[in-house]
Amino acid sequence: MEIHQVVVGAGPGDAITNAALDLRDILRQACPSEVYARFYDQRLHGDVLPLKDFARRPAAHPEENIILFHASIGEPEVFNFLQERPERIVVFHHNISPAAPFVPYDPAFAGRLDGGRRELAALSRRAVMALAASEFNAEDLRSLGYRNVRVSPLLLDVDRLQALEPNALTVNHFEQMVKGPVVLFVGQLLPHKRPDFLLQAYHALTTYLDPEAHLILVGSPRLPRYTAALELLVRELHLPRAWITGRVGDDELVAFYRRADLFVTASEHEGFCAPLLEAMAFDVPVLARSFAAIPETVQDAALLLAPDDGPLVMAEAMRLALEDDALRAGLVRRGRRRLAHFAPDAARAALVSHLMELV
Amino acid sequence: MDATEQPDEPTPDIDALVDRLRAKVDERRQAGIYPPELEEEMAAHFRRITSHRILPNLDDLQEALGDLQRRLDFRPERTPIESRLPAGAAMHKTLAKLQARQIAGALEQVRDFGEGVLQLLTLITAAIENPNSHVHTDLVGQMDATVERVSGYERAPASSAEAVSDLRRRVEELEALERGRRFEPWFGNRAFADEFRGSRDELLERYADLADHFLERAPVLDIGCGRGEFLQLLADRAIEARGVELDPDLVDECVRRGFKAETGDGLEVLKSVPDGSLGGIVLSQVIEHLTPQQVVDLAVIARDKLRPGGLVMCDTPNPQSLYVYAHSFFLDPTHSQPVHPAYLTFVFKEAGFAVQIDWRSPPPEGDVLRPGEGADDPNVSRLNQLLFAPQEYALLAYRG
Repeated sequence: MEIHQVVVGAGPGDAITNAALDLRDILRQACPSEVYARFYDQRLHGDVLPLKDFARRPAAHPEENIILFHASIGEPEVFNFLQERPERIVVFHHNISPAAPFVPYDPAFAGRLDGGRRELAALSRRAVMALAASEFNAEDLRSLGYRNVRVSPLLLDVDRLQALEPNALTVNHFEQMVKGPVVLFVGQLLPHKRPDFLLQAYHALTTYLDPEAHLILVGSPRLPRYTAALELLVRELHLPRAWITGRVGDDELVAFYRRADLFVTASEHEGFCAPLLEAMAFDVPVLARSFAAIPETVQDAALLLAPDDGPLVMAEAMRLALEDDALRAGLVRRGRRRLAHFAPDAARAALVSHLMELV
Repeated sequence: MDATEQPDEPTPDIDALVDRLRAKVDERRQAGIYPPELEEEMAAHFRRITSHRILPNLDDLQEALGDLQRRLDFRPERTPIESRLPAGAAMHKTLAKLQARQIAGALEQVRDFGEGVLQLLTLITAAIENPNSHVHTDLVGQMDATVERVSGYERAPASSAEAVSDLRRRVEELEALERGRRFEPWFGNRAFADEFRGSRDELLERYADLADHFLERAPVLDIGCGRGEFLQLLADRAIEARGVELDPDLVDECVRRGFKAETGDGLEVLKSVPDGSLGGIVLSQVIEHLTPQQVVDLAVIARDKLRPGGLVMCDTPNPQSLYVYAHSFFLDPTHSQPVHPAYLTFVFKEAGFAVQIDWRSPPPEGDVLRPGEGADDPNVSRLNQLLFAPQEYALLAYRG
């Protein structure tokens, strides 16, 4: 028996890729296991195999083998591959971003997201099991027609991040240039994550409440038009202490987490939201809005605003979370406790035991 | 509650906390700290940025690109094999099977080419979308600088050093103008009045008949009461009165004589009394010191403060007498302008008063022109009317 994993795109530092490689290493102790990708970064050559090589793999009884497919976006070629393969299919649902917010910025990408949902629904007929990192995602799978749905915590290795030495240049920059409190967002700059909402709240914060505060938006700018709009907003609101960093390396990310006084997200759609737990690992209090899987991920370990609270309430919450030491200490303490639920070994064990049921 | 949770820590009431945050926002909104439509304006601002400036109308281009990408899905199965000829489909199918390897090879090459084309088009689209790549770099820089400057002004107009120094300059100009208008002689008003207004007894005699008009019209407010001659005349007639005077020395003198008097601006004091509470208002030799605006204001304020039948008495130099200019009007540097009796009559009538003019103080007999012996020269009397008309008049305005 063999268990292989398929992802659409693989890149170094990408959360899904990391989780897939981590699982592969465990599975290899029991059976042959590879990670295949339709698109992958050349730096992963050898670690990740091209999808078109899958067919060349000799297999005496392919119908006994398992393909664990990580679903996050549409890709017709991968979908056709999965539909035609004789192996048993397990779907790990990483959540597919809603298409509508992308339409104004990248209609083609919005089309791929929509396609992804259609493909995911069609795959339900082939899947023998489906896994989800949150109850929110599990419910989504059920609504798409999946039956054998399990919640399995995301393989998230925050210890690895914590063990990294922070990037010296970034640390130096903070020491020299950044004096006031730092509010940090980590995540891709995508419309449904509402970085524009954060900038509006931050505008109110620095204009009316705390002129010394900094806002740092860390994450890769996937949509050039949307990023350009955010940069223009920063210039026009005259926010010299707002910083859109673009993609950063892990050691830089560690430097940001270590310097941050508050982690904040205004996101309106998350299947799990790993950065919330990363912030908790670095003892950074978390402020977020109650959307999708976020309340489930943080439980009582974050200051959660209601969906209809506007940027001014968020600005007020930012100030409170920066100034109220008792509140901060409580959030950090509860964050550590919440993090314990996501211990990597427990997550690995849960995932493997789900898969072993199929053996 | 799970095992790791310490039972002694109270569950935080995040909801109550967030409620307090909302209340705080409302408070700041009501206190005017936040502009009224701040959130709406910020949201609209971002919408404008995304809809008008970041997005040139390139959606069609992007859609075509996405469409092209979907068409890259070349597969031998998609090659049509159906045929209208009998057994044609089977023949095509057989041929396709025989040629499958060649077809797949050809498709591989086509796909390879197609991907290259798609990549090129993606680059071209990106170049078109990013105006910085083909707009002169200086222009972009200048636009950015302009936007930054404008937003700077919008954010903090009051704190701008330039705005403050502009204001300071303006204030200094106004202060200089004001200094030019000010008149603060080192001699006292008392000395001036003694020298030029006539003795106390002369004035008591001159105004006695005017004071009689205020019988049955108590209480009376004497605006610009000066040394208190009119207050004296009213007191002699047992008419309740009080005086207002700008010069505190003169007020002291009135008080010493046992009259009610206060230091202040007469019009302001008049404004402060209850409506309909006065029987009379005296302005003796006052309105020629007022500005035109104060004169018209006086009429309506007086109407409000007097009860029906109440009386305003203003006596003032008569500008219809040229003798006045030669002898008295310009003696007092604080006179602003003479007030014409026809104009003053008009103003008080318009304000709702019934008006009489009492012509007073004819020039001394000796100064008036006399016609030659036995002659009755009409020119002389016309000249006398022009030159030697009464030096003063008193306006008697009765509230209807």
